[in-house]
Amino acid sequence: MAKLNFLNKFFNAGPLILLYYLSISEIDSNLEKVFEIFTFNLPIIIIYFWILKRPNIMGTGHIFVAGLINDVVMGFPLGISSLTYLVVCFFSNYVRNKSVNTTIASDWFTFFIALIFANLLFFLLVNNFSDVTISYVKIGYNTFFTLFLFPILWLLFSLYQANFIGGQDA
Amino acid sequence: MSVNRDDFSIAFRSALLQRGGAQKFSILSLIILAIFIFFLDVYGFTLVQKTRSIINDIIFRVSYIASSPSRLIPNASKSLSSHFLLKKENEKLKQVIENYKSLDLNLEYLTNENKNLRKVLDAENVINTEDIINSKNIVLAKVLIDKNSPFLKSIVINKGTQSGIKKGMPVTQDNYLVGRVVDVNFLSARVLLLTDLNSRIPVTLGSDSAQAILTGSGTKNPKLEYLPEDYVFENVVTIFASGKDGIFTPGTPIGKTTTNSDTSSNDVKLFVDPNQLSFVTVNLIRQNKENF
Repeated sequence: MAKLNFLNKFFNAGPLILLYYLSISEIDSNLEKVFEIFTFNLPIIIIYFWILKRPNIMGTGHIFVAGLINDVVMGFPLGISSLTYLVVCFFSNYVRNKSVNTTIASDWFTFFIALIFANLLFFLLVNNFSDVTISYVKIGYNTFFTLFLFPILWLLFSLYQANFIGGQDA
Repeated sequence: MSVNRDDFSIAFRSALLQRGGAQKFSILSLIILAIFIFFLDVYGFTLVQKTRSIINDIIFRVSYIASSPSRLIPNASKSLSSHFLLKKENEKLKQVIENYKSLDLNLEYLTNENKNLRKVLDAENVINTEDIINSKNIVLAKVLIDKNSPFLKSIVINKGTQSGIKKGMPVTQDNYLVGRVVDVNFLSARVLLLTDLNSRIPVTLGSDSAQAILTGSGTKNPKLEYLPEDYVFENVVTIFASGKDGIFTPGTPIGKTTTNSDTSSNDVKLFVDPNQLSFVTVNLIRQNKENF
């Protein structure tokens, strides 16, 4: 029984562990070596999906800390990734409050709005308030591929939720 | 209509202020905190910089450990395949050593000739090449983090102010320019690669020593800008740092221009692949700006 309880806790913590690991490790979702313009933001998809479906397994404090770690590793001004993640978190929370039953299509559409707003904020803050310059074309590609890959990851996370976490959506 | 507006405001407020369960903090408070940290960091107060430096050192070490499985797997397969090719490689290396021996003799001759010519010119502020070669002015550093960010092209090395590294120092690999130090902590430093969008290096090229600026474009190959008017690449030419900025050692090789068929692109193929860096050297000599 205790072993089962531990496994449950481990599976529940899975998305959070993945978020932290993506923030701190060299493993990233930038596949420029394969295809020059192919980059996507996996942490944003993780945050949006799990805040929407299971807010109990992903605390906002953890998201904030993961953002700070990501800033340090990437070399961005501190707080910028946290802000981006929290904006996505806010949109996801809002959609969860307003909707009863969501589908992949509705989630995809609302994710598009959240992603555009979060990346716009990121771009404006970095380009206007720091020494770092970022190409809007790169941001555009990143936004496009993140949006493009959302349904695939939505299905993968839904499978994970159904098999390892279980229960109803929040 | 008013019901709809109420719904909106309730959902909006709830999304911003809701707490409970795993949500120990409201999103609004964390957003305010993130904005506060961002502006503290951007406007660079001394205390914040020192704190960030300590945090950087800790996180870079943790990141290095966390990324070790991803490095171990490809390394293991590489070493296994290289083991089988050892004999062949040995023969090749012997041949390479012979080539280098002959090149070394040429180099010695050229160095002596160069010294004599400099004496003849009676040049001031001549950089002593022996100083550059001298190991006390060079720090060998290991690449801790090589996170291939889609926006910033930089690496983190395991040497910092403790080893005498300062902001702006040039970084090389096999004497080829790789980038420059942009952020220094006590035990680590961040190196901005030549391919980064924020990188600008004064360079010289061709037999007529044309001056230009090598600009990172965020892609694999940086570009040459501010070339002399109507400059035409007659052949593939090697690009060297001109040292006009007083940062880079004049004559440090950087790369070659790509094919001469497309003269409009001005792309430069770097001698060092920025995605394959494992050890780099930091040149501790600070150049002085040229006096005219």
